[in-house]
Amino acid sequence: MQIILTFYMKYLKLTLLGVFISLGLFAQENSFEEEIKELKKQARLNYNEGVRFAKQGDMTKAHMKFDSAIMIYSDFELPYLERAKIQLLDNEIDLALKDCAKAIELNDMLGEAFYVRAYIKLLMKDYQNALTDFTHAIQKGYTEPQAFYYRGLMDFEMNDYNSALIDFTMAIDKKYDFAYAYNERASAKRMLGDYHGAIHDYKQALAYDSTIIIAYDNMGSCKIKTGDFEGAIDDYTKAFQKDPEYYLALNNRGSAYYQMADYEKAQTDFEKVIEIKKDFALAYNNLGITKIKLENYIGAEKELDKAIELNAEYGEAYMNRGYAREFLGKFVDACADWKMALELGITDAEKYITECE
Amino acid sequence: MKIVKSIILATLLIIPIIQASAQQDIKIKKSDFRIEIKEVGFKEAWKDLKQGEKLFSEGIGTFPNALEYYLRGVKYNPNCAKLNYKIGVCYLATDKFYYATEYLEKAYLDDNNVADDIYYVLGRAYHLNLAFDKAIENYKAYYESLTSKEREKTDKDIDKLIKECKYGQDLVNKPVRVIINNLSDRVNSEFDDYNPVLHPSQDQLYFTSRRETEDKNKRFEGDNKYFENVFVSEQAGELWRKPQLVDNKLDSKNNESVVAISADGTMIYLYNGEENGGDILVSELKKGKWKSPKQISGKLLSKQKETTIAFSPNGKELFFISNQEGTIGGMDVFYSKMNEKEKWTDPVNMGPAINTVYDEEGIFWHPKEDKVYFSSRGHNSMGGFDVFVIERDVDGMWSSPVNLGYPINTPNDDIFFKMDESNKQAYYSSVRDNGFGGKDLYKIIFLGEEKELKLNTEDLLLAWNFKPIHDLFYTQPNEVKVDTALYMVGFVTDTKTAEPIKMAKIELIDLDISQIVATGITDTAGAYKMKIPKQKDYGVEVTAKDYLFFVEMAYLSEKQVNDSKIQANFQLNKIDVGSKMVLNNIFFETNKATIKPESAAELERVAKLLKENPTIRLEISGHTDNVGSYRANQKLSEQRAKSVVDYLISNGVESNRLEYKGYAFNQPIADNNTPEGRAQNRRVEFKVLSK
Repeated sequence: MQIILTFYMKYLKLTLLGVFISLGLFAQENSFEEEIKELKKQARLNYNEGVRFAKQGDMTKAHMKFDSAIMIYSDFELPYLERAKIQLLDNEIDLALKDCAKAIELNDMLGEAFYVRAYIKLLMKDYQNALTDFTHAIQKGYTEPQAFYYRGLMDFEMNDYNSALIDFTMAIDKKYDFAYAYNERASAKRMLGDYHGAIHDYKQALAYDSTIIIAYDNMGSCKIKTGDFEGAIDDYTKAFQKDPEYYLALNNRGSAYYQMADYEKAQTDFEKVIEIKKDFALAYNNLGITKIKLENYIGAEKELDKAIELNAEYGEAYMNRGYAREFLGKFVDACADWKMALELGITDAEKYITECE
Repeated sequence: MKIVKSIILATLLIIPIIQASAQQDIKIKKSDFRIEIKEVGFKEAWKDLKQGEKLFSEGIGTFPNALEYYLRGVKYNPNCAKLNYKIGVCYLATDKFYYATEYLEKAYLDDNNVADDIYYVLGRAYHLNLAFDKAIENYKAYYESLTSKEREKTDKDIDKLIKECKYGQDLVNKPVRVIINNLSDRVNSEFDDYNPVLHPSQDQLYFTSRRETEDKNKRFEGDNKYFENVFVSEQAGELWRKPQLVDNKLDSKNNESVVAISADGTMIYLYNGEENGGDILVSELKKGKWKSPKQISGKLLSKQKETTIAFSPNGKELFFISNQEGTIGGMDVFYSKMNEKEKWTDPVNMGPAINTVYDEEGIFWHPKEDKVYFSSRGHNSMGGFDVFVIERDVDGMWSSPVNLGYPINTPNDDIFFKMDESNKQAYYSSVRDNGFGGKDLYKIIFLGEEKELKLNTEDLLLAWNFKPIHDLFYTQPNEVKVDTALYMVGFVTDTKTAEPIKMAKIELIDLDISQIVATGITDTAGAYKMKIPKQKDYGVEVTAKDYLFFVEMAYLSEKQVNDSKIQANFQLNKIDVGSKMVLNNIFFETNKATIKPESAAELERVAKLLKENPTIRLEISGHTDNVGSYRANQKLSEQRAKSVVDYLISNGVESNRLEYKGYAFNQPIADNNTPEGRAQNRRVEFKVLSK
């Protein structure tokens, strides 16, 4: 009985002690939660201030506020994301990538964080991973037109022109005056062989943003495909007039003249291209073959030498130089050039080698 | 006299160009040439013109010389149709034939009857310059201009020329891929140079030239050009050295032309126009020197002309060109082979598949293959001699001749073609616009099949790659919601023991709207937290079981906010016998015992206290300040206490639980000497009489 009583007393004491401890812990926990809540609130207040600065365009102050928000409450994902965006604008790629990763770690449903990380990967030319992240961003609800636009770019870079077409269309559906998206969609159509559709889209791009001079150039190249050489030359001329440094348009115009067998005009254009861009191997190549057409084989060989000097792996230039050298009676050298062209993947060279050997 | 009899190898080559013009040596009269109002220069010009006329009349060989004088004369009178006609005709006979058109067109425009054959020579000019449509038009016009008698004589030629133009159109439309290089002015002269023969060693080039040399400056009367002589040029790297006249032994002092060298290089074959109507001779190389040429053995030669010869690679067969018996027309290709006795068999005409009624000339057998090249004016020649090839099949049958095509062949004479064993280059003679005078020697480089030239363009397809707009990625962030509520927090404790009071109820009353706007309950630690609408002064009522209620103003507007919290602690008095409580919120009309309506809430609280604690009994007491008489104050204080008791009774409180008493100013709680003290002393209290 004594034993039972002693046990009972002990048990009672322990129970009361437990109750007191529990009460104490509860009180502590409660206070901790409150503290966390308050920290979160302060972090959010700082974040909001950062947002207001960002909207005013004061990215320095915005950055500071996002820093503060993170210092106050380091598990708050949004300031990491916004800070990453500012870092990206400042070209601080590594820092931006780190902040994006943190934002995603804290909230893997944060679509925009995937979007920004995808954009960073795009800049790093890591197209496959960028594509994956853009897709995640869209799947997680970040459906801004840019998300579709950039995913379209990735599709395009990875030669998936059908997917690119769909994404650019989505971007345009969400932003009817998205000039870049029109240009890129036009290029996707062009790669898929829809030259007339492409021309229409290039026109739309220019209607919304006449500074996209490559749209003139690209439109010209589509017109070449449809046989409209005169129209193409007009477009190339416009591109070049709008930007006298845009040598690609001039190279294209020279090529159009070449295809129209107007070799004098082609020569003039290619020579101008070289004046603008002295290390543009393609222009030397094209000038070389134009000189072949003008039966200036010595001059042609010289231009093609230069093209090869600028790009030692320029298979087509080797092919063409072989042609010029053949005309000069330098059969051994011509044969060597064709062999080099074959090594560089120009399979046409094979039959010429058989012939010259 | 020997000279007159001599027949040159190249005689045949000049006929088509001059055949008509030679008949049309129109005389230019002084009246045709003189410009009445322009005496200055006439005398000299006329003198030049007369000199030109003299040279023109001497024959085609001196046409280039005549041309020099005519061109001086024409400066005086550029509109003399006859002079322009003759300049055009002279040019046609030279390698500068491309200038002929301009003068002939002008002559025709100034006088479309300038000469009977103006259409013909215009046709020739257009023909030689590949303007085939115009050539045909003029040939037809020429034909139309002829009388029927003249037509009988010439219609065949015109028909042939028109056909040549048509063949020419076809051939020019499908050019063969060759490079044709002039052997340069080191080898070629301003005179005719032709019939190249490459020594088998490849380092010596024999050829025939009609250039003037120091000891050979006589002209052949047939064409008024210098005699044919054999020259040899040595190779020096890629180039040929200046040629020299061949060994005296090979030089007949008159016309001779080299036509072949044997495959082993020990025999050289020469055409000699003096021998037997024109024969092929052979010279043997002995101890490094050529022996005197002799007639080739066998029955190959006739009293007619044998001009060029070609041996098969094994030397057992040959072709030669002759107009000997059996010819189909003019010079033909004949064949012979070596019999068992190593004698040449009787020559056989190769028949109409190879030979035409026109001339064939310049035979050559490929050094390694069964291919034979020759030139012909027939077949589908585009004009003059064109080079053709025949090939022997496995059955020994020779194919039909195939034109080697443009630009190897032209409307001029393209002849004496010699292919090398690799089939990559050949030599021949031609009249081309990059010549140095008359016929020249050319090297043909055969290019392989047409190769596609690779044109490269580059487009920047993506606008983003052209001009990345980096802030395109940037989307404006949005603010997040933040809990900005204000909280009133604190503890409720026992006034005496300071022990926490759990389950105490705190009500915050907005006095502006007379509403409870927040309620809180204390936890076991006596703590409470309640969200309050804003920081301002509120009325607060705190109640708890076994405790007297607490009603007071909470002056929150003056309090500091920390972390969204305003701290406010309350102490409650436990309900004990003797414990008192001032009822601050009971208001009376001045100097009366009439309770004002705004006292209702306080009185409700007292009633509630009594209801929640059903055993307690209270004494309600009234108190005044010391202003006025004691009696009046005592009366007023008692009446006011009674009014409270009456109110409570009327609100359901049993009368036996309440007592009332007036204490006038006997129990002050503050200093009656100050207004604030007196205000505090004017009060109603209750005291717990029993529990």
